[in-house]
Amino acid sequence: MKPDLANHREALPPQRKVTADAPATACAFSRDGKLLAFALGDGRVRLMPADAKQEPPAAAEPLHKGVALSLIADPLPNPKGGDGFVTGGDDGRLLRITSDGTATELANQKGKWIDKLAAHKATGAIAASAGKMALVVKDGEVREFGPHSSTVADLDFSKDGSRIATAHYNGITIWSIGQVTLPPRKFGWAGSHVALRWSTDGKFVATGTQENDIHVWRIAQASDMRMQGYPAKVKSLSWSADARWLFTSAQPVFTAWPFAGKGPEGKPPVQFGDEGAGLMTVVAASPVSEFVLGGYDSGELQLGEIKSRRSAVLKMSDSSPITCLAWSPDGLRVAAGNENGDLWTIDLAR
Amino acid sequence: MAQEQVPVTVLTGYLGAGKTTLLNRILSEQHGKKYAVIVNEFGELGVDNDLVINADEEVFEMNNGCICCTVRGDLIRIIEGLMKRKDKFDGILVETTGLADPGPVAQTFFTDDDVKARTRLDAIVTVVDAKHFFSQLGQGEEAEEQVAFADVILLNKTDLVGEDDLGKVEAKIKAINPYARIHRTQKSKIELDAILDKGAFDLARILEFEPDFLKPGHEHNLDEVASLSISTDKPVDPDKFQKWMGALLQIKGPDIFRSKGILAIDGAPRRYVYQGVHMMMDSDWGTPWKDGEKRSSKLVFIGRNLDGEQLRRGFEACLK
Repeated sequence: MKPDLANHREALPPQRKVTADAPATACAFSRDGKLLAFALGDGRVRLMPADAKQEPPAAAEPLHKGVALSLIADPLPNPKGGDGFVTGGDDGRLLRITSDGTATELANQKGKWIDKLAAHKATGAIAASAGKMALVVKDGEVREFGPHSSTVADLDFSKDGSRIATAHYNGITIWSIGQVTLPPRKFGWAGSHVALRWSTDGKFVATGTQENDIHVWRIAQASDMRMQGYPAKVKSLSWSADARWLFTSAQPVFTAWPFAGKGPEGKPPVQFGDEGAGLMTVVAASPVSEFVLGGYDSGELQLGEIKSRRSAVLKMSDSSPITCLAWSPDGLRVAAGNENGDLWTIDLAR
Repeated sequence: MAQEQVPVTVLTGYLGAGKTTLLNRILSEQHGKKYAVIVNEFGELGVDNDLVINADEEVFEMNNGCICCTVRGDLIRIIEGLMKRKDKFDGILVETTGLADPGPVAQTFFTDDDVKARTRLDAIVTVVDAKHFFSQLGQGEEAEEQVAFADVILLNKTDLVGEDDLGKVEAKIKAINPYARIHRTQKSKIELDAILDKGAFDLARILEFEPDFLKPGHEHNLDEVASLSISTDKPVDPDKFQKWMGALLQIKGPDIFRSKGILAIDGAPRRYVYQGVHMMMDSDWGTPWKDGEKRSSKLVFIGRNLDGEQLRRGFEACLK
């Protein structure tokens, strides 16, 4: 079973809207795909069944003191069943949240913001930004990498989970996180790098910069490339599941750089789909297929398909910018949150 | 989405001038307002408040080849984070360390689109230590530059100096920056209305105010920070002005700490107001001209090595 774009172009798919009274900052489906969670601007984490036909439970108490800034699916399965999440807050706490909403503290860095998280499913490792340090939680142990010359703006795992890449001023750093400590490798490019994603095949690390462009390093060759021409900062990057495409936000349509074969040098990006109202704020490629989800600053939500170069509107504009997107592990459900605190769940298979 | 822009006050001043005292007062007094305070040293403030945020003064150079185009990336991130909060603020205060150039902080609010959409730079407030100002002037350029950047100056610790000396300090401040409002204070005690959400970049004061020592014939050492103003009653050509000012700030940006102006654009019903910090500038339409009102334009520069004759000729070439 897979989503059918033609179907969605005729009518909006089934959707559930839950209203929270604080901005949504991040969302994710659990590893087992049963639960969906949204992190919110009032410190709450809203858990709900992934199935859009089911009623969500009432809001729980805040877990973070200020804003719950970041959230990912817990990469470790729960042996008792019911996989959970990991969240970070501007209270400096990194929390593991079980499927029943119980929180345990993994790290506490008072005065720092835990604003970016990454997870590696096969090794169960979690990486978190905390000021100038990157934290890695693995096998019940918290290790710190840094300090970097400036705050860690984003981070991600390599394909095999043996390394993390961090984004900061004037480039990226790659840390080996195995038990044998290797010196970090630095890849330089002037300016402030604000978003980072390691390609799903492990070959490339892409960043979005303060200067409205993106930068991509070929890790093995230590060569790099720069793509310009965006009207705004590219804060959202997403590699397709097969690593052939790098999707980027900050354009009015889906924008994908081709990384198959010789790579994107000298080629324009593939741009497709219906022009959305405004600029894309968040983009998320399906973890299993050629579909991609784009959220706009107008509130519009589109589903795109790179193969057919077409798209369908999943949710109309409502003037509240989309702040977060997520795919269920099977690629059949999506979630989106906005600045108003509207939390959407959409079933793509019908 | 139409959003209220949160006013941002940049607080600067030499070490020990009284910034921390002022921040403690703002955080502890009952004023019914909610402020987020971004500081450098967590420990210095005696108040435990989750709206106090520690920043690291992380300055980076914009990747566009301009040496004075430096920005505080940490502030961009913090402001984005603050805007995710459920509770909104009446204002944001940004403290800079005593020795830091306030330029990058101010420039951050001109540079980043997200920050610009959510906040507006309200005023740069400089706290001056009345007792130690002259000795601080001798210790480097910071004390002088902090005064040059200011929209509002708290002349603090006035109880520690005599009236004569106070007059001398005030005269020196006015020589550097005659356009800032000066409030004399003791222990940083001041009505918050006087420094917060002032719309100090409401530039009306510039037009109404003409410091007397800037009359022709005034001489000063070019190395010293000084100010300069140019006025005209002729309408301004907006395209020529943009081009000239853009080029001027590119070249002279490092020397020009502040530039401000109110312009009568040919045929426009409203005032055109602009302000710059180093090479960054921002402009907007201001209040409408009244019927029969004299439409005059004025530019103000505060900086080093200002060549008045060259600036005047450049501006005159932008007139109709």
